[in-house]
Amino acid sequence: MERQTVFTLLDVERTYELGKAGWFGKSRGRLKALDGVRLELRRGDSLALVGESGSGKSTLVRIMLGLEPASDGRVLYGQHDLGQLDPAARKRFAREVAFIYQNARGSMNPRLRIADILAEPIRLHRLRPEAEMTGRVAELLARVGLPAEMAERFPNELSGGQIRRVAIARALAAEPQVIMADESVAGLDVSVQAQVLNLLRDLCREGGITLVFITHDLGVASYLCERIAVLYLGRIVEQGPTGAILGNPRHPYTRGLMQAFPKFGAPLTAPLKGEIPSPVNLPQGCRFAGRCPEARDACRETDPVLAEQAGRQVACHFPLEVAQ
Amino acid sequence: MQTATIQTAAPLLEVSDFSLHRGAAAVLDRVGLTLRPGETLGLIGESGAGKSTLAMAVIGLLREPEVGLSGSLRFHGEELTGLAEARYRKLRGNRIGLIFQDATAALNPCYTVGAQIAEPLRRHLGLSKWDARERAVELMTSVGIPEPRLRLNAYPHELSGGMQQRVMIAIALACNPELLLADEPTSALDVTIQAQIMELILERVRALNSSAIFVLHDLALGAQVCDRIAVMYAGQIVEEGPSAEVLARPLHPYTRGLKSCVVELGSEDLQPIPGQVPPLNAMPEGCRFAPRCPKAQDVCRRERPAPETRDGRQVACWFID
Repeated sequence: MERQTVFTLLDVERTYELGKAGWFGKSRGRLKALDGVRLELRRGDSLALVGESGSGKSTLVRIMLGLEPASDGRVLYGQHDLGQLDPAARKRFAREVAFIYQNARGSMNPRLRIADILAEPIRLHRLRPEAEMTGRVAELLARVGLPAEMAERFPNELSGGQIRRVAIARALAAEPQVIMADESVAGLDVSVQAQVLNLLRDLCREGGITLVFITHDLGVASYLCERIAVLYLGRIVEQGPTGAILGNPRHPYTRGLMQAFPKFGAPLTAPLKGEIPSPVNLPQGCRFAGRCPEARDACRETDPVLAEQAGRQVACHFPLEVAQ
Repeated sequence: MQTATIQTAAPLLEVSDFSLHRGAAAVLDRVGLTLRPGETLGLIGESGAGKSTLAMAVIGLLREPEVGLSGSLRFHGEELTGLAEARYRKLRGNRIGLIFQDATAALNPCYTVGAQIAEPLRRHLGLSKWDARERAVELMTSVGIPEPRLRLNAYPHELSGGMQQRVMIAIALACNPELLLADEPTSALDVTIQAQIMELILERVRALNSSAIFVLHDLALGAQVCDRIAVMYAGQIVEEGPSAEVLARPLHPYTRGLKSCVVELGSEDLQPIPGQVPPLNAMPEGCRFAPRCPKAQDVCRRERPAPETRDGRQVACWFID
């Protein structure tokens, strides 16, 4: 049986006008943060959005959360256009789709105790009567592996790993169907990172939660998610099942990211030269051509489209060969 | 690298029985290390292990009255622990270079990049304003900053994170230091830029025939860039030796535990180390890792194991197998 579609993105584009140089000056151009993004997310999927800073990962998630509108294209949640939800549907959407912010500590009111931080979404959506609140908070804390005494603490009394767990517990408090997480393990020590990753993985596997995970770390993406979408300058350059992509990357950017990933027993290599260019006034042709070791003339002239091949989608004129 | 010559050369940096106290808490506890000329050493461990503290103590940035130092830190045979501040200033930025984790915070936002690179050149090498400027252009070229003459007049905020880190490297290496300390030089950068910056640091360090100490939390990166690795836990060095061997066949349970937490491409199962690093004011009596160690016995909880030499490395554990 086909699983239910949760999100459908049809050629989503997001541009920002940069304003004018002075009062009467010329426009300084447009920043294209996302361009022609097509994505489908089904119930129970786990999708990692991977790319360097400036690739548009966070913008994409903000659009999927309805925090900002798409400049062009459509975002469907189920069958409905996200921009046209009525207030009641909008509130239901807010309950069903939870977001875990990158800066977990900054996303919490420092004057509230953990108990109140976790109770807030429950009260807002009237999910439990007040009498059951203490029990529910303890249950949520237990779910993320924290002792019930934590409920009485303030956010600044918690360590980095604990605060991430509270952020996950708060996302779970609304009993969501989809969780979106922005770099939720970045900057954690490896042992704490492993704990948080295992927790998120259990939630997806046992809780049937659909996960969208932003990360710049391919290792984390492969551990957590069954599908990967690699973004470069606002465009998906390769997407498909994690195993297929990491086993045989076809886009040179994906391969570059993989090679730059530190590995035991392999020498240090920096396969990609230069930095991600500014997304203002993009050149024609493939956006990656300037850094691509495989670039040819055709790449600088026409922009490749995302096309189905070898069990995934790739946007490249000269995709890498599949190894035997 | 010619290992034979490294082994016989006089040590550049010798840390022996070095402790650093804040109040009653031992932030560093009887640390011992030797770094020879041309060697790269990685300090690896979780936050709170004391990696950065050790690096900052070496460069003499932890000298407030409330910090208690004991044991010895010798740089070229010169004792650093009681060194006069005036003498230390002649070492810092000159014979010992430093790269901080956060270049945005470390660079002065009010001065141009060119002025900041020129500063150590003028101060330590006594170059004229014009010569320092010319040398700054050369340094910027050597760290791969495009159009250096143009960037000389740029302020730090006008550069990307990767470019700012390159500027920091240029400053740290301006006076051809014998020792470079790099505190998490790439943890704020993308992996692609991380690889570029690490390659650059290694290339420059080798070109100058300097030694380097890297503070890292990424084990795999440590294996790639360091000749030797010292694994730290709660202010102590628990295992130290050639990086390839330490990480391929860890002997200390903590090193083993850390390694099984590392996410690699295609990792199947991560096994986190249970528990947390104990707080500094409540360190266990014996081995500091005992409360989290799967192999801990009574002796571990009673007495601290002394570092033992095993297969060319130092391991502090009662039960090395």
